[in-house]
Amino acid sequence: MDRVEQNPLESLVRKLETHHALTKEDRNAVLGLPYKLRRLEAQGYTLREGDRPDKCAVLLQGFAFRHKLTGEGARQIMAIHIPGDALDFQNMFLKESDHNVQMLTRGLVAEIPRQPLEELVLGNANVGRAIMVFTLVEASIFREWTLNIGRRDSRSRIAHLLCEFAYRLTAQGLSPDGVYELPMTQEQLADATGLTSVHVNRVLQGLQREGLIERDRRMVRFVSWDRMRDVGDFNARYLHTREFRAPPPSLT
Amino acid sequence: MDEASFLDPLFRRWQRTATLSREDKRAVLALPWARRAFGRDSYLVREGEPTSVCTLLVSGFAFRQKLVSEGARQIISIHIAGEFVDLQNGLLEVADHNVQCLTRCVVAMVQKNALIELMASRDNVARAIWLDTLIDSSIFREWVVNVGRRDAKQRIAHLLCELAARLNSADPQSDGSNYDFPLTQEQIADCTGLTAVHTNRTLQTLRRDGLISLSSSRLTILDWDRLAEIGDFNERYLHHAV
Repeated sequence: MDRVEQNPLESLVRKLETHHALTKEDRNAVLGLPYKLRRLEAQGYTLREGDRPDKCAVLLQGFAFRHKLTGEGARQIMAIHIPGDALDFQNMFLKESDHNVQMLTRGLVAEIPRQPLEELVLGNANVGRAIMVFTLVEASIFREWTLNIGRRDSRSRIAHLLCEFAYRLTAQGLSPDGVYELPMTQEQLADATGLTSVHVNRVLQGLQREGLIERDRRMVRFVSWDRMRDVGDFNARYLHTREFRAPPPSLT
Repeated sequence: MDEASFLDPLFRRWQRTATLSREDKRAVLALPWARRAFGRDSYLVREGEPTSVCTLLVSGFAFRQKLVSEGARQIISIHIAGEFVDLQNGLLEVADHNVQCLTRCVVAMVQKNALIELMASRDNVARAIWLDTLIDSSIFREWVVNVGRRDAKQRIAHLLCELAARLNSADPQSDGSNYDFPLTQEQIADCTGLTAVHTNRTLQTLRRDGLISLSSSRLTILDWDRLAEIGDFNERYLHHAV
């Protein structure tokens, strides 16, 4: 087993604190939640549509995504998750899950049982606020994705998705040199942007030809953050990080 | 406490998902609400502005929208009477999208701090507000699917089914087929990521197929089962029973 932090919920605390200040007591309350570590393979599910969500997974290692299938079996990806993200806060208080959460890569999650989590959210007002802020930022990302798919062309859609991923990784301290691994196939990128994989392939090649990005297998490097941000019509306001106006230093 | 109040649409909706005591309701009513009326197209929330209040829609219809930098508009969701249109602004510092009236609206605004304090002191109210934010979120997700992976006819049928299902649920007296319908064809296009021309053609097809009739702000669903099937509509995501 890979080495994990002393208390794996530290990464959740750090994530919550990027949006909302916690006191020492608040932090200890979160760290005191019971959890069970679970290793997942790529494509493994943490939650399936229709399941009763009785626990909440926090992603410690690896990447995950949310998706839904249409009646005809087409898949739409609605969010990508990076280490530190809680995967199932969206299902707290609800009777059944309305979507699937699946791993993009192999990884490790800490599963918190739902009841103590709900009790903490209702019983500790400040922790409750921090967790609600986290879910509200997720909702803001869903809204931006509707805009992305509904009203941007294919080139902007892909550029926007790459910008969001880079920005979030950097904000979480996971891409210190501005180079990152995008753990998605072209088919998954297509499902995240409402395009076909052939179309995604053409767009990625175009971005590379124009000198906006460099790619080596799944590694992506932004040659110019400013130009990518313009192509992707990316404004980080919707991510509600504290200094959204300035791009993360390593992206400039 | 049992007399009718302007918060009844809210209480009726909350009662479906959370159990509110008399004291809970009294505390909600006692918040410093400011009632205001707005005309069609008025802005209730503007993107980029700092947030200070949360807004409950008492009557009328409203919608959330965002613009791309070139000006194209995407509608993100529709709101009906009895719903908060901007609960996220209670906790987020700046508005990341616009909220506009679709029709003439009466709203009740409350200082966000008052609402947050109430959540901290009343678990049932906190639970009800949590559910509202999570169900809003679920609807946003479904709209990503709708614009991303359904064709024009499915998208519009899905939109009509969602609005009808939510209105049915809000109004026990509803006959389940006739609805006030606040959207223009251009707005339907902006809800579904289509052009106005494509929307017009698609609506004509749905009419010709005998599924709906739509005229001067009234929607009649003539064949719910077929419309729901075409729209790939499964109301699980509305979480009407939690």
